[in-house]
Amino acid sequence: MDTRRTLWKVILGLVLPVGLIGLWQVAAERHWIDTLFYPAPSVVLLRTWGHFLDGALTFHAFTTLRRLAIGFAAGAIPGVGLGLAAGILPAVRALLYPLATALYVVPRIALLPLVLVAMSVGDPARIFMVAFSVFFVVFFSALSAAEQVDATHVDTARAFGANYDRIVRSVLLPGATPAVFSGLRVAMGVALIIIVGTEFLASNDGLGAFIWRSYQIFDFPSMYSGVVAVTILGVIIDSTLAAAEWACVPWRR
Amino acid sequence: MTTMTTTAFATAQPLANAVEIRDLTIRYPGRGGVLALDHVNLDVQAGSFHAIIGPSGCGKSTLLKMLIGLIPATSGSGSIAVGRRPSYVPQGNSCMPWLTAEQNVAYGLAMQGAPRAERRAVARALLAKLGLADFARRYPHQLSEGMRQRVSIGRAFAVNSPVLLMDEPLSALDFQTKVHVQGELLELWAERGVTVLYVTHDIDEALTLADRVSVFSRRPGRVLETMEVPFARPRSYREVRNQPAYPAAFARLFELLEGIT
Repeated sequence: MDTRRTLWKVILGLVLPVGLIGLWQVAAERHWIDTLFYPAPSVVLLRTWGHFLDGALTFHAFTTLRRLAIGFAAGAIPGVGLGLAAGILPAVRALLYPLATALYVVPRIALLPLVLVAMSVGDPARIFMVAFSVFFVVFFSALSAAEQVDATHVDTARAFGANYDRIVRSVLLPGATPAVFSGLRVAMGVALIIIVGTEFLASNDGLGAFIWRSYQIFDFPSMYSGVVAVTILGVIIDSTLAAAEWACVPWRR
Repeated sequence: MTTMTTTAFATAQPLANAVEIRDLTIRYPGRGGVLALDHVNLDVQAGSFHAIIGPSGCGKSTLLKMLIGLIPATSGSGSIAVGRRPSYVPQGNSCMPWLTAEQNVAYGLAMQGAPRAERRAVARALLAKLGLADFARRYPHQLSEGMRQRVSIGRAFAVNSPVLLMDEPLSALDFQTKVHVQGELLELWAERGVTVLYVTHDIDEALTLADRVSVFSRRPGRVLETMEVPFARPRSYREVRNQPAYPAAFARLFELLEGIT
């Protein structure tokens, strides 16, 4: 009964995507839509497979992934550290919060020209864009994660004689972990947007550059195959983060 | 004769106070800070089960938080005569979600730096006592409300403190579960010979559990009256209600509470 209901839900969830793709396929075959700009899904899939086999997509995907991974680590590690510190220590919060808030409202992509001037076009600039964007999302989520740990648990720890160090390690850090992971996943979504946007404008390789170049030469099936690849990359990365969360937050399983 | 008197004194030692509260006044800080407790005087005899009942907001929880050291007294004092840190069951769901039932019970021992083997043995024994032997590795969200409160109670007993402060530990439980846990709590109390100061708003619960019941006034909290509970032990919720003295005891506590509101 239970498996049947789960199966039913899966089927119901597939109705819309499959239906829409089917409609797109039919519309393209019957030329209801301009197939130059909107090639049939079957054409896109074949092109994706082709670019996978000729190595173009794998090359560009790994290029993008490398920039994402380095930039994400470079932004997330100090973001989590300083965010938790600011959430726990009022002095750190007072020091960082005003500047962080001011910088947070600047749309990160708007800084791309400045970053290119300062660092010139190259991987350091692209990685910096990712790191800079990730940092703020992670910083604020870690800060509020630490601040919002249930006061009852802090009181309980104090009542059982925990000193400050033990309160931090036995209550504040584990209490903040789930919200930190939510922040990391949101930040990864932002990082994907930023790296693709940066590669559109300031790169010859990476999936963003691949999509943009295909668009410029009117190779729309290839452009779509780049979108498919970047989507798959996003799903893989998010699943990896979800797996890390599953491992680090056993009490939420 | 003299020897016997001395012996009588020695055996009468439980009459010493485990908790002494003298003219305790607590005003919360800040402009127009609320006066929570107003010159409270209360003695809790060592080894006794002492209940405090009162309307919500009367400062019952504040009193326990002061005794455990979470908030300071404005004037007067509240002290644990036994000298060692009392143990505590906070109000509400206080199990730490990131610890298993066993780790939660052992939390106080961990904070005291007890070795892992000891923590595990003590926690396992208490969980078994509380009927949770099969749930040691479960996380709080995998337990029912009643199980979580048992874990909180187990955590309070695990540190082997002579004085336990409990803040409405059973108030969120359904009736049947509450009666069960009351029984387990009384067993643990009798077995360990500890002193319990127990905050509740439930007259029947106070009469089932306690040797003495102190009724607090509406805020600012003061002690209106301390009543000796006239029932023999061991007790249960059901037996207490069948006692001839029950209606009068209930009525008296009810009147004191109602006179307030």
